[in-house]
Amino acid sequence: MEGPSARPVLVPKPMVLRFALIAAWLAVASPGLAQGRIQVVTTTTDLRSLTEFVGGNRIVAVSLVAANMDAEDYQPKPQDVLRLKNAHVLVRVGLDYDLWVDRLLAQAAKPEISRGGPGYVDASFAIAALELRGMSVGPGDGHAHGSGNPHYWLDPKNAEIITATILDALARVDPDNAASYEANRLAFLARLQTKLLEWETKLAPLKGMPIVAYHNSWPYFARRFRLDFVGFIEIKPGVPPSPSHLARIVQAMRARGVRIVVREPHEPERDVAFVASKARASVVTLAASVGALPHTGDYISLFDANVDALKSAAGVR
Amino acid sequence: MIEALQFLWPSFLVAVCLVGIHAYFGIQILARKVIFVDLALAQIAALGATVAFMLGHSAQSPATYGYSLAFTLLAAVLLAFTRAWGTRVPQEALIGVIYVVAAAAAILLIDRAPQGAEHLKQILTGNILTSGLNEVAVIVPLYAAVGLLHWLLRRRLTGSGPLLWEFVFYATFGVVVTGSVAIAGVLLVFSFLIVPAAIGIMFAASPTRQLAIGWIMGTFTSAAGLAASFAFDLPTGAAMVCAFGGALVVAGVLYPFLSGNRRNALRVATATARWGAAALLAASAVQLAAAPRADQPLIDMLEYAVPSFRSLYFTRAEEASFVDASQHAERYRMEAERLNDLEKRNRTEGETFDDITVGRISSFLKSYGEMRKGEQFVMNEVRARARERVRWGVSLGLLTSALLFAPVPWLGLWGRAQPLRLKPRRFAR
Repeated sequence: MEGPSARPVLVPKPMVLRFALIAAWLAVASPGLAQGRIQVVTTTTDLRSLTEFVGGNRIVAVSLVAANMDAEDYQPKPQDVLRLKNAHVLVRVGLDYDLWVDRLLAQAAKPEISRGGPGYVDASFAIAALELRGMSVGPGDGHAHGSGNPHYWLDPKNAEIITATILDALARVDPDNAASYEANRLAFLARLQTKLLEWETKLAPLKGMPIVAYHNSWPYFARRFRLDFVGFIEIKPGVPPSPSHLARIVQAMRARGVRIVVREPHEPERDVAFVASKARASVVTLAASVGALPHTGDYISLFDANVDALKSAAGVR
Repeated sequence: MIEALQFLWPSFLVAVCLVGIHAYFGIQILARKVIFVDLALAQIAALGATVAFMLGHSAQSPATYGYSLAFTLLAAVLLAFTRAWGTRVPQEALIGVIYVVAAAAAILLIDRAPQGAEHLKQILTGNILTSGLNEVAVIVPLYAAVGLLHWLLRRRLTGSGPLLWEFVFYATFGVVVTGSVAIAGVLLVFSFLIVPAAIGIMFAASPTRQLAIGWIMGTFTSAAGLAASFAFDLPTGAAMVCAFGGALVVAGVLYPFLSGNRRNALRVATATARWGAAALLAASAVQLAAAPRADQPLIDMLEYAVPSFRSLYFTRAEEASFVDASQHAERYRMEAERLNDLEKRNRTEGETFDDITVGRISSFLKSYGEMRKGEQFVMNEVRARARERVRWGVSLGLLTSALLFAPVPWLGLWGRAQPLRLKPRRFAR
């Protein structure tokens, strides 16, 4: 009696195990899917932060490049392909800044988030790019990009355009929640607007003050806050500056009375300190990306931190 | 001139100190046949610094230096043992493995702590241009101490000895390299180490004279590299490495003339030069005939140096459209520059442009870029067609000059060919 009746119960056990394994794998591999949240992959932390402002708690956003890395020479990892395979939306910087993502997209082979798909977002869409030099022959601006300077997220006004592009994609992928995304974006923009006024007043005394930077990451920032970046230490990306270039920079700094040299955390400390000491200027470390420095956890605190750092470096109260 | 000196003399001083100790170590390294040991030790030191960084020590702290030193000493033990091990695998292979594993391990660690990437890069790339008296103050006593130790132990440290002396050699070398790589970078330190020593060994037999030659040559080459980097606006480290490479080439070419049969050396040199020129011309001829639209390095270089060379094979119409296109391309570039300038000045001067104006400037710039690309396409097309037209004649000419350059005794061949030509006539009669 006991034996034969127990048998049929025992037989499906491997099946149950298999289901349990699959369920566990789903839960581990894509936690968002299990909870029905939209998976967004961004290339940089700035776009992740902006996407989070629009998506709120209905999305899960991950950035492929860690906060402190140079996104322009990022080495993709095998996990990145998996992240793309699980993603519903991809947000990239464009303007030749994150070209490596094209190879990843080809590997992930997911038409929804590939170029032209509903979940593909090139955040540079409709942005007025600065410093276009057509064919990357422009001397002395520190970029090999023919498509213009790619650091456009450093103008807070451009966040309006970027979030609009992101909103479009989220509404396409998840039309049921489109209204909530739109409300999130408007709330964010309202907050940004008040903040922008505050930043502009804080930086007003720095108008026209000559500044030198290591890398030309700041034209959009400069345009919005009316700063004058008069020179760059690294004029070709990845190539150490020549002595004659450094001599010219130092001379120009002395002539124009430059008191501030801007450096990003991933740029060589020694070269910047050398130039600054020659011209008796002080070095200020600014974050060009969310999370690159402490207290730059999101898009708004990024500007908060940078504005305060610049202000105290310039010695204005 | 004065400005250049002001900028370069601290770097020159550092370079002289580095040449001083590295030329000595280079002679030892070449004798031991462990050429790449400095790369391995530098990489190990960088790995140690990375570990310290991950444990929360700051870049310039004594703890970081301690970690780097401990790792270097560990590697010195390992290197001393590899010498004593004496398997059939050469020691260089093991050194290579130490280098790649240390480099890969550092990358793995950096992957966990991205803020260390810049730090690791700094340890390994260095920049001699931005170093100066601060560095000299540190390295001079250190190098003097190491030099003194080696002088006191000179009997024991040259050649192969017991394990302890091997360890002392690698440990002191590790201490030197750890510091110098952070100042000058891996590439330049390798040049300091190998090139003066190699040239010294080439021209002298006694260690003292080898060292003297290495020092003099290293000092002059450093000065030449620094001067070239200022004069031609080049990155300093890379310019100096190439200067050292050039010095080795010059020494290598001079060597057979200075020691050995001069006439024989001259004969070999001319034959090499003529074969080289002949091969270059023949290859250009084949390239032009086979693929006239592809790059023609020889002709391109000639045209770059002497633009009027083009008019030799361009028709008048081709010349006109080429010049017209290049003028237009230049005009578009100037216009784009003007707009870029205008936008840049407007960031701080006058009333700021509204977003629409900035957008218009941006799209104008994009159009100028495209138009310029178009003009450049026209220039390339005109040139390619002209080359296609003249390809057979020109490549025949190149081939003929290649044959003339080749060191084949043409007259002798001609003489030998005479009887061959006469033979059939004799049969006919």
